[in-house]
Amino acid sequence: MAAGGTGGNSGKTYSFKVVLLGEGCVGKTSLVLRYCENKFNDKHITTLQASFLTKKLNITGKRVNLAIWDTAGQERFHALGPIYYRDSNGAILVYDVTDEDSFQKVKNWVKELRKMLGNEICLCIVGNKIDLDKDRHVSVEEAESYAESVGAKHYHTSAKLNKGIEELFLDLCKRMMEMAQAEERLKGNGASQSASSRRGVQIVDDEPQATPAGGCCSSG
Amino acid sequence: MSQRTERRGIHVDQSDLLCKKGCGYYGNAAWQGLCSKCWREEYQRVRQKQIQDDWALAEKLQREEEAAYASSHGVQTQSHSQSAAPHSGQATLGTFSKFEEKKTNEKTRKVTTVKKFFSPSSRTPPKKENQEGKTTSPSVSRHASFETDQVSRDFVDFLKNLQKPGREIHKQCRAFIINMSSKKDLGADELSECVQDFYQSMSDRLMSHFKGSSESVEQVMDQVEKYIMTRLYKSVFCPETTDDERKDLVTQNRIRALHWVTIQMLCVSMDEEIPEVCENVVKAITDIIEMDSKRVPRDKLGCITRCSKNIFSAIRITKKEPASADDFLPALIYIVLKANPPRLQSNIQYITRFCNPSRLMTGEDGYYFTNLCCAAAFIEKLDAQSLNLSPEEFERYMSGHASPRFSSSESNWLHPGSKPGVTATNPVLAQLSDNLELLSSLSSRQESLMEAAKNLQADLLSWPESVQQEVHDILEKYPLEILSCKVSAIDANNMDNDNLPPPLTPQVFTG
Ligand SMILES: Nc1nc2c(ncn2[C@@H]2O[C@H](COP(=O)(O)OP(=O)(O)O)[C@@H](O)[C@H]2O)c(=O)[nH]1
Ligand SMILES: [Mg+2]
Ligand SMILES: [Zn+2]
Repeated sequence: MAAGGTGGNSGKTYSFKVVLLGEGCVGKTSLVLRYCENKFNDKHITTLQASFLTKKLNITGKRVNLAIWDTAGQERFHALGPIYYRDSNGAILVYDVTDEDSFQKVKNWVKELRKMLGNEICLCIVGNKIDLDKDRHVSVEEAESYAESVGAKHYHTSAKLNKGIEELFLDLCKRMMEMAQAEERLKGNGASQSASSRRGVQIVDDEPQATPAGGCCSSG
Repeated sequence: MSQRTERRGIHVDQSDLLCKKGCGYYGNAAWQGLCSKCWREEYQRVRQKQIQDDWALAEKLQREEEAAYASSHGVQTQSHSQSAAPHSGQATLGTFSKFEEKKTNEKTRKVTTVKKFFSPSSRTPPKKENQEGKTTSPSVSRHASFETDQVSRDFVDFLKNLQKPGREIHKQCRAFIINMSSKKDLGADELSECVQDFYQSMSDRLMSHFKGSSESVEQVMDQVEKYIMTRLYKSVFCPETTDDERKDLVTQNRIRALHWVTIQMLCVSMDEEIPEVCENVVKAITDIIEMDSKRVPRDKLGCITRCSKNIFSAIRITKKEPASADDFLPALIYIVLKANPPRLQSNIQYITRFCNPSRLMTGEDGYYFTNLCCAAAFIEKLDAQSLNLSPEEFERYMSGHASPRFSSSESNWLHPGSKPGVTATNPVLAQLSDNLELLSSLSSRQESLMEAAKNLQADLLSWPESVQQEVHDILEKYPLEILSCKVSAIDANNMDNDNLPPPLTPQVFTG
């Protein structure tokens, strides 16, 4: 499902969908506004909305259109998660380093995503608000070893200080490109194209999908 | 003449200056050596030829389509055409020429071509529309076929710019529509599969044709979607093979039953007391209702996007910061509850099945559509917990035994101390109580009116009686004595009788 890539061999443009998941108030909206508008807690932000933002990148000569989907973090909307993250190429799971609970929520999301989408999605676990390190309640070691154990990558960010955010998105894009290329190779090798790869909103297919070994998420 | 000498001075032969058409007037280099009159004629001729060529191509494409359609639909179409063709043909022509009147100048030749293009004998789609639209009224099907014609025309116009590949695309689309018309019995998922396969193969071909320029591909794909979905709409929107219609009814009733849900329960950050916000809310409601009237999936998406942008404005004005997903989703749920959009489930299904997938997967429209799906799912599952209510409260509101308006537990949005429900701070509730007051004053006025009417009726009923009585009394007082009034005594009471000279008496003369 990760093949967001379109185009011939030369001027290829990749289109990726990335969802932001996590408890309310951990800083999802702040992260994406910092990344796309380079603003934080700014009352003069000109964008009408901060729930769907896009960014165009150029990575090693390849064009990438990144669409970042913010999700409603309130508990009562939790059950709607699958509608948001279907067909995503990547997910950014955000917690607040000063809030133990929010890290627990991330673990729940990981379980759910792996169950629903298998390895077809690049996962990023993000500990935000590292500027408040003195109030840290989630240990760096614990978070990083957890991320590794579930095939995700871990990042530390501060939307306030603009730390670690560029790296997070750039890294994620590279991993999604690798995944898309691996799928293309699979396609090129004569493996039948999965019906879901071109399907917009047709939900989960039950057949276990053969995913390329050494996919982007397991390779460091 | 001075002019002539001047020309001689620069050694220009006068014949070079005359109009090349030899009409005797002077020509002009800017008009390719023609005079203004001849230039205009020439220019028009070239233009007309081009227009005519374009239409000849369009006509040819159309004829091929009909031929292909007829051959696949042979017997059925022919037998049907006997009864339906003259009417539908005229209708099309009528509507079309009206449309054509609006267009200005230089169209005389075009019109004849166009009329031929749409003449009864060469039209198939209207017949098809008629077959399908047995239950629709003539005006509806005429409108529909007009819309279809318009879309076909636009499509051909668009493809003309692509020249040869355009022809190929048209051929493919035609073949696909014909192919689909033989698959009406398929289930919705299979139909969706067919359309999606077609999109996929078409965009693959386009991708290699445009050498990977995804913008060009998207542009063509939008037109392809518009063309084929306008034609397939009737047979694939809310098809009988699905329970879409039942779901629509369930959702509609569900939203009706939830009429009591307030903006506060959903924690929506839109303050409807601000006139601008209120305006945006009304617009958002109108947009989402309008979705049902569109045929092309992308146009339906457009309505959702407009609705969403109005919501964003409302939130921005209220919160003075850009709307995040936390603000947007509850607001959209609120709008859907207010609007109760017609055939919500069918529309969601239709877009899901037949929209060009690249729009839904990563595009902005796709994001808003996904939120609409979320709103629909939330409303379907909504319970006490989702609104932070106790199960008992929820039950009472659902059953209509209580209304949050009069509930003391909701007094945070009622003026404390005042009579509950009369001075609600919520503008909608305020308006509601205003209206209720108005209604009750109306009803008391109505009552007094009824009273007055009854009195009037009683008065009217007793009136003849009293008149009769009066007449009777008078008669009693002054009895009529017809006998005493003698006709013979005309001058009976003439007082001056005595003063009159005696009546003339006849005198007898002898002799
Ligand atoms: N100190 C600090 N505060 C942050 C940071 N990121 C977000 N916040 C604050 O956390 C609160 C919630 O942020 P928001 O982006 O709305 O979180 P969301 O609910 O996950 O979208 C806001 O008050 C932000 O100013 C950060 O990196 N450092
Ligand atoms: Mg947010
Ligand atoms: Zn001339």
